[in-house]
Amino acid sequence: MREQERQLRALFVDLRTRETRREELSPFVTRVFLGGRGIGAWVMGSCPTVHPLDPDAPLVFSTGLLTGSRVPSSSRMVVSAFSPLTGTVCSASVGGRLGLSMRRSGIDLIRVAGRAEGPVVLVIDDGRVGFEQGDIPADEPLSGVFGRLEGAGWSAAAVGRAAFQGCRYASVMVDGAFASGRGGLGLVMASKNLRALRVRGTGTAKAVDPEGEEKARTDILRLFDASPAIMGASGLRHFGTSALVDLMASRRMMPTANFRRTYFPGYRSFCASAIREQEAPKRYACPGCPIACKGKGRAGIPEFETLSHFGALNENADLGAIIEANRICNEAGFDTITAASTIACLAEIRGVRYAGRELVDKVREIASLTGDGPLLQLGSAELARRMGRPELSMSVKALEMPAYDPRGAYGMALAYGTSTRGACHLRAYPVSHEILRKPVATDRFSFSGKARIIKISEDLNAVIDSLGACKFAFFGASLEEYAKGFSSVTGIEADTQDLLSFGNTISSLERHINSLRGFRREHDLLPERFFTEPGSSGAGIEVPPIDRKAFEEALDRYYRIRGCSPDGTFPQDKAREIQSCMSR
Amino acid sequence: MHEQIARYLGKLQRHGLIEGPGDAALYGLDDEILTNAGRVPGTMRELFALLNINSLIIARPGPLFRYVIGHLCLREPGLICPRDCESLTFIHDIPVVESLDPRRTAQALNRRKGCIVGGELVVTTGTVSLEQAFISLSSILFATFVKFFADALNGLHGYGEPVPRGMLDALPGLLARAEPRSSAEPLPERAPEGEDEILRAMDQAGKAVVNARLVDSFFGNISYRDGGAVYISQTGSSLDELPGYIDRVPLDGSSTCGITSSSELTAHVKTYELTGDNAILHGHPRFSVIMSMFGHPLPFGDRRSIGGVPVVSGEVGAGARGLVHTLPEAMREFHGAIVSGHGAFASCTGSFREAFTRLMDMETLCYRTCCALVREKLG
Repeated sequence: MREQERQLRALFVDLRTRETRREELSPFVTRVFLGGRGIGAWVMGSCPTVHPLDPDAPLVFSTGLLTGSRVPSSSRMVVSAFSPLTGTVCSASVGGRLGLSMRRSGIDLIRVAGRAEGPVVLVIDDGRVGFEQGDIPADEPLSGVFGRLEGAGWSAAAVGRAAFQGCRYASVMVDGAFASGRGGLGLVMASKNLRALRVRGTGTAKAVDPEGEEKARTDILRLFDASPAIMGASGLRHFGTSALVDLMASRRMMPTANFRRTYFPGYRSFCASAIREQEAPKRYACPGCPIACKGKGRAGIPEFETLSHFGALNENADLGAIIEANRICNEAGFDTITAASTIACLAEIRGVRYAGRELVDKVREIASLTGDGPLLQLGSAELARRMGRPELSMSVKALEMPAYDPRGAYGMALAYGTSTRGACHLRAYPVSHEILRKPVATDRFSFSGKARIIKISEDLNAVIDSLGACKFAFFGASLEEYAKGFSSVTGIEADTQDLLSFGNTISSLERHINSLRGFRREHDLLPERFFTEPGSSGAGIEVPPIDRKAFEEALDRYYRIRGCSPDGTFPQDKAREIQSCMSR
Repeated sequence: MHEQIARYLGKLQRHGLIEGPGDAALYGLDDEILTNAGRVPGTMRELFALLNINSLIIARPGPLFRYVIGHLCLREPGLICPRDCESLTFIHDIPVVESLDPRRTAQALNRRKGCIVGGELVVTTGTVSLEQAFISLSSILFATFVKFFADALNGLHGYGEPVPRGMLDALPGLLARAEPRSSAEPLPERAPEGEDEILRAMDQAGKAVVNARLVDSFFGNISYRDGGAVYISQTGSSLDELPGYIDRVPLDGSSTCGITSSSELTAHVKTYELTGDNAILHGHPRFSVIMSMFGHPLPFGDRRSIGGVPVVSGEVGAGARGLVHTLPEAMREFHGAIVSGHGAFASCTGSFREAFTRLMDMETLCYRTCCALVREKLG
């Protein structure tokens, strides 16, 4: 270890006793788990079979080792817990200033356990830890809650009324506009009676090698400029993620009518140019990010997934209704993807369509727990099961699929299956090569080579999430440049291969934890629809059902490459190897 | 994977990067390693075990490239630092290792996308497909070629490190062997009409640019303006395999489908605005790039010329120092320009014919100028 090597600094909080303890984590744990998602998995690995809502179940807020540095687009943080929606290990990366504030406050990781007697706010002011009464009305909109919590120099995470009402996909909102959205982490936070976390930090985060940090920064920014997806005229810098709407429609892979079709003719009503025309959004950014993908018009501009799912998935061409639905989700604090997908599932079961005003009403019912709200707040898997149509939940491991139809991208199909938190596009992010041609294009209608690509990509994205970096940065730069930044900032000598091997440890640990919780191969499969029903062919693009045999063979190859047995779990020797990383 | 291996082996030969099929071993890995090399040697298995990759190429480039690489390895042992724009942006530097020892080679490949081994082999990798390894290989050969001649020319004229005697002696012979192709099948004169014809014309022009060695396939781009839309090659597309990889981008901003377009889309659009042309070709002709790097580095915003062809500075893309801010204005006057350390652009109205001819002429001019500058000092 170099003398100046960074080590993660942890704060352990027991809400029942209000005891707090600080600890500097070992160099080994710091080096291998890196912070963010990695350190979240490390914490979850210490109690792998606990129920998500058990008072002793951990909830973790963690920054990445790059958070607070000058390496571009790396100020994110991660919230981790066991998911009450899926039962899997779960983490969700989130932007905003909270990660930076934690870092400047001298804390990289907050592990919260126990349940407070009444609602509390955990307050960290430049490293000093305290508690405030969380006597904020449970039904207060989150914009009001953040109005109370934030102030000069303060940053906050909070849960809204959805969490206190038991919504299984309640999110943790950060700084009012950013969501740690998937998997119901907000419900875990509410179950601990933790209303909010407020942090203020004024310290600095100096790199061990500032010159090297600057060089890495220059290299990365040059690559951002050279990336059409990032800085191009149609890229994220100018349109945010809404830039993807036209592309997904043109590729005939926009999930429509609860995934019964893959093309929605009304997509032009919520594409990027429609948003620009009607909302004239202003762009803003997480600290230290030149991409500035977030947009705000009269209300917050929904992200691509939200636009597509409150739009095409529900056959709704009313942009105003999409924006309002998004606003309600953010004010009450629940995941837009799961909400939209669960409504689409209910609509298919009932043989109706919820669009425009009716769609907004359904979202409002979730927020207020009225009408169909009690059913909808369960998520689509449980809703469909209770209604006797489990096959109509478009989910994997009970997490609803985002807005990339797997019949239009086979790497995505495999990645939905193997993702450790359920159907997630971000764990391997094959959109990058299958659609956006970065680092190079791959054949989206083929499983050839995809098993290894997905395995490597999962490890890469585990690193990205653990460093505090933004995935969008990798539409331009690569781990090669970030590895240079990492070594300069932390003093930990690590090249691309070292980082990928840490990513392998993190991804494998998550899979191992899931296997201890009973997850097997059958949980890595896609809903039947994708193997039997074609998508919407047209414009010279054929969208057949996925060949089940080819999918299962790719899954077999993935397991071999990951070191798993054919049932998706790890053999004993491999499991011991993974566990040994936990105990060092 | 076998199909990919055959495809990229063919491309290596067609592009003149290797002499024969036995000069490159290509490896692809999903759950087992496949190769064109007959069997997989133990060193390769070891190398794959040390790297998180799915593809790897080991190539013994053609004799001219080998000479260039061998010489650079002597001058910059351990690490070769090219100065051209693409290298600066994408490959940064090129590690050099002495032998194909798996551990040392893996160490180099963990840092960068490719390395030079034993002064004559180039090894590159990919994590997504063989295409990555192919692009890196092509980039390394381009970067070393450009660096060798640019360094020699600058050294000879007092703009850089003095050139070793051996290199000077070899220079005229090497230049003679590197002469660019000066003739090519002319492109049709008639302007394409309608989408189908435009796409066909772009395909034809792309192939012509690659066949004339004005670009190494994956770099460069090509576009055609038709009324309110621009048809442009997608980012990272292969100019000799364009069908299916061209975006139609409306100029009124009504669609963001251009998110997959070439990184130079904005520069093309601005050039169309200023020139009134409707066809643009962009390649990386080697001597155009070499000559653009002759002399003191060109400050951003400044301009010079080579035989009347404007040379401007500017980085890839639309950033603050991007070529979008310098190139279009230069194109207005000459309908052709060279971006220092990067490549050449040519535009015209009607079909691609005139732009293609101009690109060829610019490269010939730069080659002849380079030869004259060498003769001036060496006699």
